[in-house]
Amino acid sequence: MRYFVFRNQTVEPFFSGEEATFSGYDDVSQVPTDASRYIWFYQVPVGPINEVADEVDTYFEKLQFVASRCGADKQLIVFSLVDTANVLIVENDRALRRAINDFNRQVSQWAETRSNVKLIDFSEFTERYPCEQLVNWKFYFISQTLLNPKLARDFGQWWQNKERALDLKRKKCLVLDLDNTLWGGILGEDGPAGIKIGGDYPGKAFSYWQRALLELKNTGVMLAVCSKNDEKDVMEVWERNPFMVLRKDDFVAWRINWQDKATNIQELASELNIGLDSMVFVDDNPAERELIRQMLPMVTVPDFPTRPYELMSFVKGLVDSYFSVYSITVEDVSKTAQYKANAARQAEQTRFATMDDYLQSLELCLQVSELDKFNLARLAQMTQKTNQFNLTTKRYTEDDLQRMASQGARIFGVSVSDRFGDNGITGELILCPLDATTAEIDTLLLSCRILGRGIEFAFLNSVLNLLLSNGVKSVHGTYIPTAKNGQVASFYEEAGFSLVKTDNDGRKYYVRKIDTVIDNKDYYKITIHKNGGENT
Amino acid sequence: MEERILDIMRNVFEDASVNVASNQNNCPNWDSLRQLTLVSELEDEFDVEFEPEEIAQMRSFTQVREILMTKL
Repeated sequence: MRYFVFRNQTVEPFFSGEEATFSGYDDVSQVPTDASRYIWFYQVPVGPINEVADEVDTYFEKLQFVASRCGADKQLIVFSLVDTANVLIVENDRALRRAINDFNRQVSQWAETRSNVKLIDFSEFTERYPCEQLVNWKFYFISQTLLNPKLARDFGQWWQNKERALDLKRKKCLVLDLDNTLWGGILGEDGPAGIKIGGDYPGKAFSYWQRALLELKNTGVMLAVCSKNDEKDVMEVWERNPFMVLRKDDFVAWRINWQDKATNIQELASELNIGLDSMVFVDDNPAERELIRQMLPMVTVPDFPTRPYELMSFVKGLVDSYFSVYSITVEDVSKTAQYKANAARQAEQTRFATMDDYLQSLELCLQVSELDKFNLARLAQMTQKTNQFNLTTKRYTEDDLQRMASQGARIFGVSVSDRFGDNGITGELILCPLDATTAEIDTLLLSCRILGRGIEFAFLNSVLNLLLSNGVKSVHGTYIPTAKNGQVASFYEEAGFSLVKTDNDGRKYYVRKIDTVIDNKDYYKITIHKNGGENT
Repeated sequence: MEERILDIMRNVFEDASVNVASNQNNCPNWDSLRQLTLVSELEDEFDVEFEPEEIAQMRSFTQVREILMTKL
């Protein structure tokens, strides 16, 4: 990642681990085009308060000027302004505070309308330190670095987590032990009423920890349980213990038995249709942690604090390191509900004589829409996160998608709803034109939670029908094998494509002529929103 | 102590060849920004504080060592 940093102070020490170049101090005249990302990292300068306030008032305009020259397809990361130094001089100054607040508010409103602009709340970092530690006047006077260079290492850590969130690398599932992990004490010995949860310390610490996990769940992280216990005892706790914050419904799945935890975690991964590398395992027992590290090195296993009061900083660390997101998309938030609705669907499935009867009863609605600013974040996220039903496994950022679209690619998302609920956008197809009558499917993927309902065919067919009406005569498709996408190895055959050739590495190339409208089963209600118009 | 100083300098200047004869002229990465990082690392490592005048004089390994010696 090549950064170009707009700055008004010396900030080089804070980006020493990055490939970064820097503007002159408060110089917005040069906007190099070879950067892959831009950063706006201004600090509130030091000086007479009213002059500083006037100066700060010019920043938003400068930022907009810079943005207009960066290009809308490249990320511009804006650090919010924090007054690190002047608070030391003047206790209470309204003019400067107003200017700083104005800048932060303007940027945050503006960022909402521009998907390439990401606002980073810099106070998240500075709040950890007292003023005297944030600013080192000696270094300020010898090299105009207001922010203490001794915080560079901490900053690097913090920034790394922010980058990960911006790049959409987030774990999906937190697997939790129970005894001395979710609550204090041992259920088998202390009984459902005797375990430590709620009330005074240490029970109180466990309640707060559970509450934090509940918050995490509400941001779309799946919680699962893996514990050596009798399931009926745990059910009693979940149903009867009045102090329990997390209850049965908060977990997407559990393995409560005496089987080894490595096997249990593998089972959870396949039940939830996720990779081991998207799981984090939390257990108070060092032996269990070691077992998982040895047996399942793909699973992330953080150390667990030995004292319950340390749980609060532990959970903060968990979130920062594995579960932070830049912006939470609507799909993430309702994921637990969706996985649960899937279970209801599976129960339903056994009651019908044929698969068609079942699908008919689901009242499936597919809405196919082209890339726009509302689905951009989700469509980028899906290319990053989808591993199994993914024909080519190409990873794209929001910038990449916008660039491809501007070069003529057509990017479609499909959202699926049925009578059990709305799954949100769960499928994606990227089509690159080769010439006027030929196109290539660059990416085709579907979230595993909507598989088993023929959505993949209905979605592909409706896009092919759309192409037919646009005069396209044939479509190429490729299957690129990975460790995880074996299930789609013969998808194109099933979808009526003909195999052209197979490479030594297992890549398969296909083509399909399109000359007539492909009929979809009539129980799919399909709507298509094209950019610049709508038809059904 | 010499080794500790050299280790820090090699790290900060990202240059394994730094030795007791290194100075700002023969060490290509020794610029004003890395000088800043060097000072901050030395202050942390030896639990000392350098004055701006001293920092300005630290232009070679020998000078760094001499100034540091006066603090310990």
